[in-house]
Amino acid sequence: MKNKIIISVFSCLVLLQIATPLSMIMKRESTLKEGTLFRFKTAPVDPFDAFRGRYVALQIEESRVSLNKVSPELEHGQNAYAHIVVDKDGFAKISQVTALKPKGAPYLSVRIGYKGTKDMTIDFPIDRYYMEENAAPRAEKLYRRHSRQDAKDAYVTVKIKDGFGVIEGLYVAGQKIEDLIKAQGKR
Amino acid sequence: MNKKSVEWLYQELPDLIKKGVLTQETANNLKTHYGEIKPADKKWFMFFLYGLAGTILIGLGIILLFAHNWDQLSRSTRAVLSFMPLLIGQALVFWVLFKKPTSGIFKECSATFLSLMVGASIALVCQTYNIPGNAASFTLTWMFLIVPLVYLMQATIPAAIYCIGITAWAMQIVWNDPLRSMLFWPLIAVIVPHFIWSLRQEKYIVRATMLSFVMMICVLLGAQWTLEKSNNWPSSWIIIGPCLFTLFYLVGSYKFKNSSTNWQRPLLRIGALGIFIHAFFLTFRFSWDSISSRYPYYYKPMMSGLKTLPGSIISILIVTTAILLFYDFAKRRQLMKAMFGGLSVLAVIAYFLTAMGAPKALAMFLFNAYLFILSLTRIILGAKSNRLDIVNTGMFMLATLILARFFDSDINFILKGTVFILIGIGFLLTNVMMLRKQGVKNEK
Repeated sequence: MKNKIIISVFSCLVLLQIATPLSMIMKRESTLKEGTLFRFKTAPVDPFDAFRGRYVALQIEESRVSLNKVSPELEHGQNAYAHIVVDKDGFAKISQVTALKPKGAPYLSVRIGYKGTKDMTIDFPIDRYYMEENAAPRAEKLYRRHSRQDAKDAYVTVKIKDGFGVIEGLYVAGQKIEDLIKAQGKR
Repeated sequence: MNKKSVEWLYQELPDLIKKGVLTQETANNLKTHYGEIKPADKKWFMFFLYGLAGTILIGLGIILLFAHNWDQLSRSTRAVLSFMPLLIGQALVFWVLFKKPTSGIFKECSATFLSLMVGASIALVCQTYNIPGNAASFTLTWMFLIVPLVYLMQATIPAAIYCIGITAWAMQIVWNDPLRSMLFWPLIAVIVPHFIWSLRQEKYIVRATMLSFVMMICVLLGAQWTLEKSNNWPSSWIIIGPCLFTLFYLVGSYKFKNSSTNWQRPLLRIGALGIFIHAFFLTFRFSWDSISSRYPYYYKPMMSGLKTLPGSIISILIVTTAILLFYDFAKRRQLMKAMFGGLSVLAVIAYFLTAMGAPKALAMFLFNAYLFILSLTRIILGAKSNRLDIVNTGMFMLATLILARFFDSDINFILKGTVFILIGIGFLLTNVMMLRKQGVKNEK
């Protein structure tokens, strides 16, 4: 009897353990398939995570917003909605940050960071791009070298659906970072 | 009696019977009294340790292999792959539940492996989909998914992993969200029934010891990181520290089973050490300066108003439990235990006296007197019961206190000199009296 209870409880746990990564995957797959594509300008740097591996941290340019674009009632730590528009160069910009969900326009769910006197930071849900162990530091170096030569032209492509964003790729100098590293390796 | 002594006694028995010191009947009676020594115990220990080390290494190895991030694999392959470690771990636990439901080692190892594989699986999903966020949210999800294993499999290592995970989570989020970090306390309390179970079941076996160490470190870190910043009492460590160590010490003093070697009772030993160190620091002025406005940093709690309520409630709970335990030991007239545990009560009194404006010298005096009486009692009790280890620790405590006071610049030389001479005379007199007593005994 006791064994039966243990097995049935364990079966529930098994389902829960499977359901957690599965739901994480499904939500992102559906966003990647059905979401709208945006390009965000960014600067990659290379940190390290013991469990999840190497990644390049992304400093999205738009994560600093001038205060006149932000609803005044929003405070540090609050959840908010960043309205997204596309500029003439094709990059995503934040037109305003509000506490209410926008209707009919693309938006991203964000969290309010620190408020300054002129602008404020928002915690963008796009902050890391995982790469192969050896590729991540090279990606950062490539970006640095490139950004010295001409204008900073690194960006991430993000699929957004119902305020939820999933990164699709990281591009430096118009090329996908993985391809760029491969091309550099061959040279 | 501990196992080593029983082993020795059993070895001696045939010789004693041969020499006519004991009859066969008495020897048999002795054997029934002390019971059989399980020869499997040592073997079990080695199995357990090697099995566990192997499991943990393999588990961590798999996590590291995934962390390499194989970019040759497509997104869908990686998504499928992220379930592999999880499914293997689950299959292993299922097998153990059906085939080896009574084997402690199998249960412990399979549950540990599955715990690590849950982490590997979520890590791979995070990596594949560039899931944002720091390690805190990742750790919390991981810990929630493994904590049922602790009770299902009666496994202690997953419990230890959970404690470490929860503590790491609380330490990470406390700066951004001190109120949420208070969840550390109910979350760590989830493990307490298992902890008590492990102490009761096999109190002096390696896993209870391991969990005791982990629990102590996690609770201390948790208290240091979450309470100090959120209960709005300046320098609350003056109370919380002594109360936590009193808790460890007195819980460790309860006899769940027959006593054993020192290293197997970490709650008692570390508790006592912590009590001594706290009492020692509280004899210095700098400990008490932090209550006053001389260090305004300590006065800046991260929260105010109602938000400090959870922190205050947990602080009060810790203090009350420590004092109740102290009362229990005092009531049962266990002098030494009650005296060590008395630090919690003294800390509370001295803290409030000082906070209400009493001179700091009073608090310092109280703790000097406390340590002095504590070490003297230890020396006397040790001498009475002929226990050199107790006398020595008492002497060490007293010597530390005396040395600290000798270099203290706060007290004037005449007072210091006089007190030193008086204590010295006291020592010599005790010595002479003890020698005389022993002399009388020897002559008899």
